[in-house]
Amino acid sequence: MSASVATASIDPGADAQAVVPGDVVTMRDGLPGFEQCRRFVVISSPDLAPLVQLQGLDGPRPSFLALDPRQVRADYDTVLAPADRRRLAAEDADVLLWLALVHLEGGRFLVNLRAPVVINPRRMLGLQVVAAESSYDTHHELLAG
Amino acid sequence: MLVFTRKRNEAIVIGDGIEVRVLRVGKDGVRLGIAAPADVAVHRREIYDAVRAANQSAASTTPARATKLAARLRQRLATTPATPAATGA
Repeated sequence: MSASVATASIDPGADAQAVVPGDVVTMRDGLPGFEQCRRFVVISSPDLAPLVQLQGLDGPRPSFLALDPRQVRADYDTVLAPADRRRLAAEDADVLLWLALVHLEGGRFLVNLRAPVVINPRRMLGLQVVAAESSYDTHHELLAG
Repeated sequence: MLVFTRKRNEAIVIGDGIEVRVLRVGKDGVRLGIAAPADVAVHRREIYDAVRAANQSAASTTPARATKLAARLRQRLATTPATPAATGA
């Protein structure tokens, strides 16, 4: 289900202007709440593993932490709708990269399994899946305290 | 806000190619059918809002905190491999 990340070898603090075009993932609709941010890069570093950083390049340049949802639940299984596959220009042979965004609330470490970001590394297209029905939670607790 | 009165099987058209049709009117709700081009995302408002709120919360983690979190997470994953969890489903 997951692909190796088309990563940019960039220090998380580095100026994102140094990003080369081939590293840029285009999310045509942005992400809910950050619709104006269409371009992202996925940044990995040993300090962050198993997390990766999803860095926006437009507007407020939002920065997210994310991880493979199967790191959270080995049985994680969300099926991409045909319309979403078309938006990613995904062909059957494409191995997609799945990322669940993480967030902190009151010291709790929460993972959004409900709406994963999915990237097609071959086409460098991405989107956040907002399925009408899902058995997963936007606030899945991974670490407490 | 534009307000329309529509009966069952009547529709409205938005722009070029988006149609919203009333399929059923019941006591507890209205069932709508939406035909839109494949590149137009259609979401239930409350789900979209929940994802937006989670994203806005997720975008606020500082790099220093991220490094600490990652270390805790590595420790956690090393001691407890991911298993089907009782929560979140």
